[in-house]
Amino acid sequence: MNGPILLEADNLSYAPGGSNSDRLLVDSVSLSLHQREIVGITGPNGAGKSTLLKLLSGFIEPVLGEVRYGDRSLTALKHRERAVYSAFMSQKGPDTFPFSAAEIVEMGRYPHLESARHPGKTEREAALSALESLGLGHLADRSYTTLSGGEQQLVLFAQILVQNTPVLLLDEPTASLDIGHETQLLQVVRNLCRKGSGAVIALHNLNSAAEYCDRILLMHQGKVVSEGKPHEVFTEHHLKKYYHTDVRLGTNEATGSLVVTALPQKAAICSLHVHLIGGAGSAVAVTRMLFLLGCRISGGVAHELDSDTKIWRSLGVECITVPAFAEIDDESYRKAEELTTAADLTILCEFPVGQGNLANLKLAGTTGKLIILDDDSGDHAREFFSEEAGELFNVLAGAHRRINRDELTEYLYAVSEGSETL
Amino acid sequence: MKHDYFKWQLTGLIAALAVSFMAAVVFGAVVLPVRPFFQVVIRPWAKPAELELELRKIYSIIWHIRMPRAVAAMASGSALALSGAVIQGLFRNPLASPDVLGISAGSSLGAVLAIVTGLTQFSSLAIPAAAFAGAVLAALFVYAIAARPGGTHLLYLVLAGLAVSSLLNGIVSAVLVFAEEYALGQFIYWTMGGLEGATWQRTVPPLPFIAGFSILLLALSQPLNLLSLGEEQAHSLGVPVQSLKIILLLTASALTAMAVAIAGPIAFIGLMVPHLVRLLSGPNHRSLLPFSALAGGIFLLVCDIIARTLIAPFEIKTGIITALIGGPYFLFLILRHRTKGMV
Repeated sequence: MNGPILLEADNLSYAPGGSNSDRLLVDSVSLSLHQREIVGITGPNGAGKSTLLKLLSGFIEPVLGEVRYGDRSLTALKHRERAVYSAFMSQKGPDTFPFSAAEIVEMGRYPHLESARHPGKTEREAALSALESLGLGHLADRSYTTLSGGEQQLVLFAQILVQNTPVLLLDEPTASLDIGHETQLLQVVRNLCRKGSGAVIALHNLNSAAEYCDRILLMHQGKVVSEGKPHEVFTEHHLKKYYHTDVRLGTNEATGSLVVTALPQKAAICSLHVHLIGGAGSAVAVTRMLFLLGCRISGGVAHELDSDTKIWRSLGVECITVPAFAEIDDESYRKAEELTTAADLTILCEFPVGQGNLANLKLAGTTGKLIILDDDSGDHAREFFSEEAGELFNVLAGAHRRINRDELTEYLYAVSEGSETL
Repeated sequence: MKHDYFKWQLTGLIAALAVSFMAAVVFGAVVLPVRPFFQVVIRPWAKPAELELELRKIYSIIWHIRMPRAVAAMASGSALALSGAVIQGLFRNPLASPDVLGISAGSSLGAVLAIVTGLTQFSSLAIPAAAFAGAVLAALFVYAIAARPGGTHLLYLVLAGLAVSSLLNGIVSAVLVFAEEYALGQFIYWTMGGLEGATWQRTVPPLPFIAGFSILLLALSQPLNLLSLGEEQAHSLGVPVQSLKIILLLTASALTAMAVAIAGPIAFIGLMVPHLVRLLSGPNHRSLLPFSALAGGIFLLVCDIIARTLIAPFEIKTGIITALIGGPYFLFLILRHRTKGMV
């Protein structure tokens, strides 16, 4: 990033009991925020995100290290100087008296007023237009304490807007917001930053973080364990290590930004390697089922753009593919054959067979451990557009079991319990 | 705050205060004839010797009995209510008040100690000063017990305050007993407060301090608004949170001490008046503080009129009237808190 530095933290450490406490909530964290930049702080619960933001806002003082606003040390600033430079929105809203929403927002002008001046007409108008800009004009006279959690959060954000500072420090600003308001709020932050502000935002929603943040700090036990652009920080390895969750990374087709999806916890019921021969979406349902059972899955040969290919990709399943509508080439066929040979079990799904995927029937014929799945969950029923294909299938059908998906589940349970052999 | 609205309310309260004050001078055990009343009331600095014999008695009633008593009621009622409003904002808690927190009892103890040790002989400010010391010590003590990082817990605050209050009231009684000045009247005065026997001598010295502390607190009403949003938020908006908290607590305690020096620890005004005002005109301290000050004066003047006239020529103690109104109100607050989760 390129603008001048708005905020810098050097080697910050914080312990609740002072420097002789051995538990550091924030441990040697350094960061810098440039103009026009949004820095995201992510990390599992208890990683120290909120504490770091409180340190940056000056609400608590570090036991070691220093925070600088521009080129001045935070401790050297007067309270008002600090408050016209940075605004902090804490995670937990106030538990306060029933002020009206407009009164709460209006208080954001406090650091801009001379010390003895009370807010007047100008301040009230600023408050109303901030509320209006967030679509909350109708709440202006409502008592803050009667608003919903999300509305309260937006009112506090409106207060931040009228405070109008170059630096925004936001702790989970979208925690109680619906998806529409979350997008709206983050978009407002982005627009402010384009005009020259900078923001440090703690976020739990990794997709929002990937979408809106220019740089991400991933925290774990008070330390920054990874820092960089979203795709550099949000790797499957990092997320598995620090969030203890399997995730898949994809791309948001609309914006091109990273999408993080948490996978359901796999059950370790069945550890077989199952190869799927599918097409036309016929393997989607069985893939999900096998995935949840904990099987190792491979797939192919499939065509690009097929729903089967998509789900295999999204689950990280090893699969052999050829371009859409292309005939299966020898190279791919050979690779797929390696997989079927290695697999404990191969499943032939229910799909129509034409010239393009005829090789898949041949492939099924090369393995002895084949099950033919009668499962109409795919896009098309099983049919054959050539005599050769029909004959090939009849041969296979004569030699192997034909079962439906429920029976397959029972069969796999039985195999893993040892009451049946492959 | 809608500004016109604010002005109307302010004007109304000032008018009501003036009317209550006049009523406190006009009504009493002795019914005063109209013409002589006006002849006397416009001549505060008249020498009694210059007056006709008939007017001398009326002069004494007005200028030596009723006026000091009305001023005492107005000043201590205002001071208690204003200090209550500030303490409620400071603790973000409408159940807090100088008497609930033991600040009133601390003031009493200070005042009693000043009397029995003879400090009062040296200066007319001995009682206010000693009351101030007692108030501040009690406030800091309760605050230290109840304060936790990130705020104070309602239950701890009230329990600590009640415990400290009883303890200090016990010490007040003990001191009075050991000083052999124990008289029922003294005991009631320093534990419940009262306006009977109010004199210029006792009432005037604390007045400038009441004015000064009140102006300071009114000037801090907007920072107090911010503080009542919570410390993190107040900090983010540029409020020097720690110093503001200390200034507010000390000034409100000092104001309570001045009220106690004038009229003893009259109960429940600091709790009830700000809460009522908040219900009527909202929580914004920019209006809540001045309105509470005015309403507190009105409330105590009216209570005192009732105390003096209800079974005249006998008097009920003013503190009994406020306690009879305030006790049930406190219960109402607790019930409301229980059912609504808010007060």
